[in-house]
Amino acid sequence: MEAISHAGTVLAVLSKEGIAMAAEKKVTGKLLDLSLAPGGEGMGGEGTEAWMGGGGEKIFLLNNNILAGLAGITSDANSLVNFARNSAQRHLFTYDEDIPVEMLVQRLCDMKQGYTQFGGLRPFGVALLYMGWDPIYGFQLYQSDPSGNYSGWKATCIGANHSSATSLLKQDYKEDLSLEDAKSLCLKVMSKTMDSTKLSSEKLEFSTMTLHPETKQPLAKIFRPSELDQLLRDLELGGTKDEHVGVGEGSGGGGGGEGNVAMST
Amino acid sequence: MECSFGITGKDYVLLCSDTSAGRSIVRMKSDENKIKSLGPHLAMAYGGEPGDTNNFAEYVERNMRLYHIRNNYPLLPGPASAWIRRTLAESIRSRSPYSVNLLLGGFDTTTSKPHLYWIDYLGTKAVVPYAAHGMGVYVSLSTMDKWWFDGMDKKEGIEVLKKCIDEVQKRLTIRFNFNCILIDADGTHTINIESEDPLADFESKTGSAAQQEGIEVPQPPIDVGVTA
Amino acid sequence: MELNGGSVVAMIGKDCVAIASDLRLGNQQVGIASNFDKVFPVNDKLYYGLPGLATDVYTLREHLRFRVNMYRMKEEREITPKTFTHLLSSTLYEKRFGPFFIEPVVAGLTTPTPLDPNPKPYISTMDTIGCITTPKDFAVAGTAADKLYGVAEGLWEPDLEPEDLFETISQTLLNAVDRDALSGWGAVVHIITHDKVITRTLRARMD
Repeated sequence: MEAISHAGTVLAVLSKEGIAMAAEKKVTGKLLDLSLAPGGEGMGGEGTEAWMGGGGEKIFLLNNNILAGLAGITSDANSLVNFARNSAQRHLFTYDEDIPVEMLVQRLCDMKQGYTQFGGLRPFGVALLYMGWDPIYGFQLYQSDPSGNYSGWKATCIGANHSSATSLLKQDYKEDLSLEDAKSLCLKVMSKTMDSTKLSSEKLEFSTMTLHPETKQPLAKIFRPSELDQLLRDLELGGTKDEHVGVGEGSGGGGGGEGNVAMST
Repeated sequence: MECSFGITGKDYVLLCSDTSAGRSIVRMKSDENKIKSLGPHLAMAYGGEPGDTNNFAEYVERNMRLYHIRNNYPLLPGPASAWIRRTLAESIRSRSPYSVNLLLGGFDTTTSKPHLYWIDYLGTKAVVPYAAHGMGVYVSLSTMDKWWFDGMDKKEGIEVLKKCIDEVQKRLTIRFNFNCILIDADGTHTINIESEDPLADFESKTGSAAQQEGIEVPQPPIDVGVTA
Repeated sequence: MELNGGSVVAMIGKDCVAIASDLRLGNQQVGIASNFDKVFPVNDKLYYGLPGLATDVYTLREHLRFRVNMYRMKEEREITPKTFTHLLSSTLYEKRFGPFFIEPVVAGLTTPTPLDPNPKPYISTMDTIGCITTPKDFAVAGTAADKLYGVAEGLWEPDLEPEDLFETISQTLLNAVDRDALSGWGAVVHIITHDKVITRTLRARMD
């Protein structure tokens, strides 16, 4: 739990047309060689699929229809991502359909809960945001913590400053957002939450979950650094030094407020 | 000596099975229900080795029920067919294979489309607009080839089914009794195919009896379509 | 093989490959479905066909999808035709003493890399337990394999452009399956080029 409250912020906003998710990358230092990392220049820019975009540090593709943002201990996170991908593929194998979002969340939470119950082992120090689509409930956004609790949200946040970010989301969230609204809300709250003055692809990962306009199949997209910078410029969130930095005043309540409706528990 | 049919229409699927049970040429029972409801919008007509059939059908039924209880929604026809197919495909390479052939019919409530799957004991699956298993294959597939067309309404579908049954009664040496169900957006309904106008019978009870049969979501009816 | 019927053929062209299959699913002599596609995509540069026992077509296809998806997510790149062939081969050999009754055909293009700037179009085929052959011209499999060999031998020539390759593979498949009672009932052809995949469904004799 302690590790999570220091980890980079991940926040996501649900809309009727799709979901947007932004995650803060902790910049380690200039010497860390990222040229061969998924977003790095060494990997070229080929392909339109989600796993070929940026990301790779905080936002992962768990299945065709599900993306997750992680906050916490990276090594634990990698092992959880692997478990989730395996679970999703097992479902695809037996049922020939993409795993329903809540079912995958349950699979992971069952495992996380196991580590809180049996002695001798340390729980996974990871909180996750899941965004996905399935034919039964449409777009969904879930959050889970190390103890194995999960809940569904319209807009939520994990990681550092999550309580202030949540109250900002609570203030600005409106019913019937469009996807564009969701993207801009996501990044605006992010810019207020993060310590740094301006946003850029160096400190941020961004992704969306939408439906393909023709096939109506889920389309997961992790933005490439160049695409994200373009989006930030369009929203005038990158490059302006006078952006308000800091925290929403006062309220610390965060999760569980009236503005955030849990869809299921 | 068995015979079952499945026909899809515009917004429904029909399943029809004979009601005889026996060994080789001897009929032991003539009112055996060989159609099982697997959920609010899913049912299968099954046949094969006696014993295996009922055991397998109940196994499938309870797994579908378990999925429904765990997730609060039933498995859609596509995933259900994949699961049943996999179960049979694994069984055929096991020490005690199930010898069951089935037609799986379902209505996808998310897309409002009917689905029909032809599955045999090997785990072969075909996604088809109309199908048959058993002796009926040899006489009724050609009947369906001739009369079936895309987007049939309920009346036209039942007409085709009646033609198939007539053909079976005419060309096969055995007399069958038939048991029939229809699955549409409202759920699973029994159809008395022997009646003069099955559709009128079925529609006359829409609203009261028919509705109660199908829509109760957490309680899928366990036995549909028993004709004494 | 002879239970459900079905045939697949693949051919190499100039910077393109083609793979085609018939659409019949039968139960011995009785035709059950005319929409049973035996060719599946791995990505937009790589397709594979699985003629043989239909239950194994599904099972093997789902096995491969599982493994390829995991490969793609972990490696964060697409699998190459050669790697995929070996994945398929070892998947088949896992069932050495109770094999899948399938003779797969793989056809694909390799994306150029700095180490291999001019990769050749790739096709391969294997037996039921995964012994690989990589022909330089064409590969055939299924109940009409013997007929396909004959027609392909006569029609195929090196360095065909995509449209010519389409004509060649279509004629090969249609004429071969017309002589085979267990194959036919429609056909589907995929032409894989570096910038797109052309998929066409062919009308065929329906008897």
